[in-house]
Amino acid sequence: MTGLAERGMTMNERLLLGRSIETGSWVHKLDARSKITGMLLYVVVILLSRSWMAMALLAVFSVVVMASTRIPLKYFLKAAKPLRYLMLFIFIVQVVSVKEGAVWLSIGSWDLYEDGLRLGAFSVIRMFFLITFSALLTFTTTPGKLNQGLEGILSPFKRFGLSPDRITLMIDISLRFIPTILDESQIIMKAQASRGADLKELPLKEKGRMLVSLLVPVIASAFRRAQDLVYSMEARGFRMDAPRSRYHRPIWGGADTVFILMFVVMGVAVAWL
Amino acid sequence: MKEAHEEQANGAKAGQVVIELEGVSFGYGPEHPILQDISFTIPQGQWVSVVGPNGCGKSSLVKLFNALLPAGAGEITVCGMKLEEASIGPIRQSIGMIFQNPDNQFVGATVEEDILFGLEGLCLSHEEMENRLQIYSERLGIAHLLAKHPGELSGGQKQRVAIASILAMEPGIVIFDEASSMLDEGSRDELLSILKGMHAEGRYTLLMITHDADEILASERVLALHGGSLAADVTPAELFRNEELLERCHLRAPYAWRLAGELEERGIQVDVPGSEKELIETLWPYNYSK
Repeated sequence: MTGLAERGMTMNERLLLGRSIETGSWVHKLDARSKITGMLLYVVVILLSRSWMAMALLAVFSVVVMASTRIPLKYFLKAAKPLRYLMLFIFIVQVVSVKEGAVWLSIGSWDLYEDGLRLGAFSVIRMFFLITFSALLTFTTTPGKLNQGLEGILSPFKRFGLSPDRITLMIDISLRFIPTILDESQIIMKAQASRGADLKELPLKEKGRMLVSLLVPVIASAFRRAQDLVYSMEARGFRMDAPRSRYHRPIWGGADTVFILMFVVMGVAVAWL
Repeated sequence: MKEAHEEQANGAKAGQVVIELEGVSFGYGPEHPILQDISFTIPQGQWVSVVGPNGCGKSSLVKLFNALLPAGAGEITVCGMKLEEASIGPIRQSIGMIFQNPDNQFVGATVEEDILFGLEGLCLSHEEMENRLQIYSERLGIAHLLAKHPGELSGGQKQRVAIASILAMEPGIVIFDEASSMLDEGSRDELLSILKGMHAEGRYTLLMITHDADEILASERVLALHGGSLAADVTPAELFRNEELLERCHLRAPYAWRLAGELEERGIQVDVPGSEKELIETLWPYNYSK
């Protein structure tokens, strides 16, 4: 392993998914329901942004809100880093496939069109801000509060037979175990490398084969962990859909309404631009 | 202190039977029997070690007490309640379990959420939850870790969180399923001193599945399993004097005991020591007389 690992950081520290970073900012204090609703509205704002001006406004708004959490911006950038190749791929696909607008550059028989470049850039910007900004939700909300917020938002669907408790528990446990299972994969990869099967040094075909042999022990271990977790939960009296009290009660305040309105105003502004 | 809490463990008085097994069997189908015809009783306040070689059914046995596994035959009574569908809830409230791997029993995303998980299930008021969160996090020395994620904790800290999560639910019976086997020496000692403290309070009945001689020595009674049956129900001293039983259970006597045995074979009679320090105290007059 290189980079962060050499500086003594574990997989858990490197993985930011599902981690809240407490700074006590106004965003941290908001009700999780308003933050989830805000995120959904943010997706709409992104889709409505179709001009360079709108993109610029979106960027300024996103950076200001992210900075107001008092969480260093590098953490938000780290959240987008794993998807940089996907963003590059999307950009290239747009540039290659869109053949509208003025031709900017010609290399042999291939032409670079203005619209291709613009749409490629828009797609990357949209994706970048979607990932970085949505990290704000998990960075400023503990998984427990996030689940309560989700439960609150999903509670109207109870009448249609949906169990919000079940859904939020699944999300909670999945988020909780992602770092653990990644750690375990790393250990198994190292164990295989120590027996001469270093994934990094194998050709692509062999890598594919090795990945299957990696998946089997990882899945087996995940099942074992799941069984242990079930024992631990049941031993603490947990029963699905049984009544539970709540330590953290969500309280909707004026700031929550203002937070939602910010996204509504932004939506109107970018649509107008 | 012990007397003050005598009647607190789920209403059970000291000495009153809190766990009773009568002809209990368990297996994964008739072809794979794990436990056969197990019968014993455990009185309130007793500290019991459950020992035996790997795969002999120790973990399965304790999981039968609160129906985490269903008994195939026999009768189980916990705190006067016969184990059946309707009594599973109250029985699980009266039994707390701490498992081997501290990572796999961490339900919450933070220490605070993990402790609250059981309390919320008890439908306690906010004030009561806050009160217990404070009492048990301070008691286990984890009050400064409440906002931490499991990945930021050491194995010993995770195990203390697991214990706090269980004790906060205030069960009368606490079962440790090889809870120290994944810990380093320092964390093991820490866990043992927590157990000693709990036992001294007198309000807990403790069951500990263990292979550790020091932990066995600290307990009052040993249930030895072998081949799915109860091979012996003895005191730690009786276990450590019985070479054959030790061998069957894949155990070794504590170092001080083995040394005392060697000395006895060479004609130096010493009292059965509780620790290396006690053995040194016993041997010191011999050195002084020379």
